[in-house]
Amino acid sequence: MTGIKRRGVLVAGVLALAIGAFASPALAQQPIKIGHSMALTGALGGGGKAALIALQLWVEDVNAKGGLLGRKVELVTYDDQSNPATTPGIYTKLLDVDKVDLLIAPYATVPTAPLMPLVKQRGLLLMGNYSFQVNSRVQHDMWFNNAPWNVAASWSDNFFKAGKKFNAKTVAFLVADQEFAQNLARGAKSIAATQGLKTVYEQNYPPTTVDFSSMIRAIRSAKPDIVYVMSYPNDSVAIVRSVNEIGVGPSVKLIGGGMVGLQFAPVMESLGSMLNGWVNYHTYVPEKSMEFPGVKNFLARYAKKAVEAKVDPLGYYLPPYNYAIGQMLEQAVTATKSLDHKVLAKYIRENEMKTIVGGIRYGKDGEWADARVVMVQFRGVVDKNVEQFRQPGKQVIVEPAAYKTGDVLPFDKARK
Amino acid sequence: MRRLASPFGIGAAATVVLAGVLALGGANEYFFFAGYVVLQFVVLATAWNILGGYAGYVNFGTAAFFGIGAYTSVLLFKSLGAPLLVQMAAAAVVTGLLGFGTGLLTLRLRGIFYSIATVAVIFIAETLMINWRYVGGATGLQLLRPAPMLPFETYTRMLFFIMAVVAVLAVAIARYIEISWIGRGLRALRDTEEAAECSGVPTLRLKLLACTISGALMGVAGAPLPMYLSFLEPASSFSLNYSVVALAGAIIGGTAHWLGPVLGAILLASMQQIVTVTISSEMNVLVVGVMLVVFVVAAPDGILGLIRKLRRPRAAAGKP
Repeated sequence: MTGIKRRGVLVAGVLALAIGAFASPALAQQPIKIGHSMALTGALGGGGKAALIALQLWVEDVNAKGGLLGRKVELVTYDDQSNPATTPGIYTKLLDVDKVDLLIAPYATVPTAPLMPLVKQRGLLLMGNYSFQVNSRVQHDMWFNNAPWNVAASWSDNFFKAGKKFNAKTVAFLVADQEFAQNLARGAKSIAATQGLKTVYEQNYPPTTVDFSSMIRAIRSAKPDIVYVMSYPNDSVAIVRSVNEIGVGPSVKLIGGGMVGLQFAPVMESLGSMLNGWVNYHTYVPEKSMEFPGVKNFLARYAKKAVEAKVDPLGYYLPPYNYAIGQMLEQAVTATKSLDHKVLAKYIRENEMKTIVGGIRYGKDGEWADARVVMVQFRGVVDKNVEQFRQPGKQVIVEPAAYKTGDVLPFDKARK
Repeated sequence: MRRLASPFGIGAAATVVLAGVLALGGANEYFFFAGYVVLQFVVLATAWNILGGYAGYVNFGTAAFFGIGAYTSVLLFKSLGAPLLVQMAAAAVVTGLLGFGTGLLTLRLRGIFYSIATVAVIFIAETLMINWRYVGGATGLQLLRPAPMLPFETYTRMLFFIMAVVAVLAVAIARYIEISWIGRGLRALRDTEEAAECSGVPTLRLKLLACTISGALMGVAGAPLPMYLSFLEPASSFSLNYSVVALAGAIIGGTAHWLGPVLGAILLASMQQIVTVTISSEMNVLVVGVMLVVFVVAAPDGILGLIRKLRRPRAAAGKP
């Protein structure tokens, strides 16, 4: 070996040692990257923006406590435009280019569905974000959906339980002609059949319907005891307005059930007193029985950011559950001291997750083992005041018994 | 033999070989996801240009053909477990027939009325799929991909290669139409349909042929979508974005030459992919709009027209 070559080898060796000596601590200081896409534009954009604020709050909190495993946490977010065609590409980039350590699913079922084969194929942990039965076909054992429902019936069984109080004999169904709504309605119909309720009116309406007056009149003349409605935000608003103008008749003791939109602050504010008496599903309301540790503090901080970001100022429906996703990852990583997806999945599967939306245990299918879709009845709501919904008593939980804060009142009585 | 050895033939073969080498190489998987989308838009823009560019019939219904192609695949895969190539061939037949039928019904309309009629095709097709539960209805259908064909390591790499081959075929068909009697006839009817007819150009037959070929190519572009996504649902499959980007790609690149839609689609789709993951998705939609406006105002003949314009003064200056 010549002198030059020997010197070269020596320099290379010293450099290698130096890199080795400095690289390890430097690597340890690299942040833990959590990748996800969120619907920041498109049909789901409103909810997505609110959910992102919640996740960012969790990142702030966890970093203020020193991060995870001594490393800061960094959120890598892309906008999926509420479009499932974008998510496979985004998640491949997150995994292969951004090299994220952990994954959170996009908000809602449709953008999540294309990811299931990808995560199953690669054996990755995926924290679900308000999906519905997205894992039923793929059966991935490292999927954990954070939403308080599991099977279709879990959306409506509490509604019909509430109806038992009135000794109801008849029921009317008003359902959007969309797959998801129809799935839930099928669950509701089977529960109604089990309870021996006779269906006196059944109407599927096209999703573009804006005028419900003829349907409301038909319901009125059918004289049902219960009216089950499964609708989307625009329809929900139109139905509530129609009922307010036309009335459903004195026979109806219970009306509502699966109306999407009545959980969103702008809708609640615009409908105001028209909401009184309606009984509808919710995932969180500020009632005493749902005062889980940390949720009040979270909502107060969220409200400030939401006003700046011009999104839902109440944030009861989706944001606490997004914060809870972060908490679950935090609990699993801290307990296992690992970022190994299999290890984390095993931990989440076997342990109770302690979050601001309560304790969560998962079933085999990666859905909540015990569903907790509460039925709330609007009471004493006045017009044009969004702040009133921060007080208990405006959305009284009538079912399930474990969270109940009041008995369900007949529709006409609750409107007075 | 001479035709195969032409610069176009060599370029086409080189593109296919390059795509194959890339797909078998060690490049990052994300490259193939993004590359597939770019190639898909090359096919769509090229297909759009056959009717929109050569014949002057502005078709907004690209999404309908694309979506029906995708749903044909889903139907065959779910009912018979048909392999991808069979799905693509069936999609070509179905959307070709749809193109022919749509042409028969709508080609009596001209200008903006024709364009509006093509938008209606999207809504009809989407509504049909929303109400067809077997193929997933409004919720959509999840699909588990089969194993990729050898020698490809992953399904995405295989799809990238297949879409590259489809893009080359689409461009070859468009080029053949452009330089053959079909293209001459289409150009004649684009300029003055009555005059063309009086001169013996079989206008209706040519328009129907263009509709059929254009529709079939759009359907083939959509056929691998369910396998690309492992999922299919109507709202995103029939998204107007496909129509807008196909049209914008052809206009930005230049509609007079087969190369125009290729350049336009590559530029537009690549920029969209880059902007989506670097700046924001809102910007990605803005990019299409701004580029379309800029090109329509500043370079109505697209990139190719701009290049020609820039070359002309130089060529003139070079003359004695």
